[in-house]
Amino acid sequence: MVTLRLDPSQASLRQVLGLLDLAPEEVDPGFGVVAINPAAHLYTILVEEAAANRIAGAPQVEGVFGNPRIEGFDPEEGEAPD
Amino acid sequence: MRVLVQFRTSSEVHAATLRGEALPSFAATTEAPVPGLVIDPAFTPVQVPTPRAAEPGASPYLYSPAVSFSLAPEEATYLVRGAVPDDPEGQRAVLAEATARPEVVGVFADPAIATCLVCPGDPAVGTDQDVADQLGVAALADAGMDGYRVPVAVVDTGVNLAHLKSKGRDPKFSARRSWAPAGVATRPGRHPVDHGTMCAYDIGIAAPKATLVDHAVLLSSTPGETAMSGLLSDAVLAFSRLLGIVSGMAAARRALVVNNSWGMFDPAWDFPVGHPGNYSDNPAHPFNVIVASLEAAGADILFAAGNCGRDCPDGRCRFQSARPICGANSHPSVLSVAGVDTGKRRVGYSSQGPGRLDPAKPDLSAYTHFRGSGVYPADGGTSAACPVAAGVVAAVREQYPASVLTPAELRALLAKTAEDLGGTGFDHDFGWGVIDGRALVPALAGIKRSRRPAPR
Repeated sequence: MVTLRLDPSQASLRQVLGLLDLAPEEVDPGFGVVAINPAAHLYTILVEEAAANRIAGAPQVEGVFGNPRIEGFDPEEGEAPD
Repeated sequence: MRVLVQFRTSSEVHAATLRGEALPSFAATTEAPVPGLVIDPAFTPVQVPTPRAAEPGASPYLYSPAVSFSLAPEEATYLVRGAVPDDPEGQRAVLAEATARPEVVGVFADPAIATCLVCPGDPAVGTDQDVADQLGVAALADAGMDGYRVPVAVVDTGVNLAHLKSKGRDPKFSARRSWAPAGVATRPGRHPVDHGTMCAYDIGIAAPKATLVDHAVLLSSTPGETAMSGLLSDAVLAFSRLLGIVSGMAAARRALVVNNSWGMFDPAWDFPVGHPGNYSDNPAHPFNVIVASLEAAGADILFAAGNCGRDCPDGRCRFQSARPICGANSHPSVLSVAGVDTGKRRVGYSSQGPGRLDPAKPDLSAYTHFRGSGVYPADGGTSAACPVAAGVVAAVREQYPASVLTPAELRALLAKTAEDLGGTGFDHDFGWGVIDGRALVPALAGIKRSRRPAPR
């Protein structure tokens, strides 16, 4: 995940591709441009690792972050009752 | 606080022992009482063998190589039971006075002990009705708090409403506000019976009238090693939608409770601590940012503390000696929930603090490992404790929206009214204690209610 500081008018995938010189296939279109702190104009996008490293120095980029696996804290036990 | 005080022998004790008499009362073991140290007269003093070091100069307390022990009256020590003040200052004064006495070997903790802690796979302890009784659900309901029309998002494996109905629950459901990641074949409210359905059932213990919002993040088809895992980016998308929901509510009626019974089991899934892209310890990670943002908008966010407690961690835990409450589960803007059984004993798998982002974790405890939803033999893990607490929060929100009681204020009130367990005040096993709806009701009395409660 790459955190971006954007003017709200730039917070679209089309604009971000142009601003950061990203190819469409390098970005997850299903994820899109997600506002994570609208008041601070912070957004995040999901990109291929190589692309993330390439754009890491761009002025809009606040940071490149991991996307770790998550799992339910379910009970670790046997069969469910009938 | 209860303590054990170890005394060196006195001439009276020595003489009595040589005569083969029963040990004399405590009064005979010391010249003068220590102010503030209250001795339990019902406790018969116990002779403690004195360890002798195997080699000159070595510590007799290493026990390796083997040490020998002496029960000779002139060498043995005696243990009595007592109590010192609970307040830290009074306690320090008494301990300083006691340990300065030549006849005192030491003053030691006398912690409560119990049968073995509940571990993964153990049978259920009690039922959801027991949990309702312990929580004080009747007191909440009598005060008009059963979660009516309060949206509660279950960020999990999805909810199965038919199963809930088969178990006697009939919650309201918002399909419009529900969401699932791309590729999920089943529809909100109709997902396979699994972990999320257990959470939904347990929310209903205190908030049977809440409106469930189904965010089936853990059904994501994003590559993960098990059927119950997704990637954190799926949770970012869910929280983004929840941010839209809460921001769109009228300020005077703003209420959204978000239950999260999930997290990381393995730090290898993350960048290392110190790496700029790290999640576990990094408040700048996008998910940690959106968590703060959602809470600032008025949502109550609850996270399970995790199942990596020291006594019997879940087999998937890979934290070794590192702090297991990490990432958003340790976020200062969320309520991190540990687990206790219906006997108010910490379940052995409940993760202990300190937290990574906020050391003061877990915040509090809630009940788990009881027979309830029927999804598992026991609604267990801190996965069940979290929605039990979320139900209490939703019940409160029916009368007290975020405009009159901010999420931070409500967390503080829950901590203040929790029933203290473990050591006095906050500790890293139980947080501030176990959530207590009965104590919460009078504490809320001084707060102005919503002007227009939702019509029934």
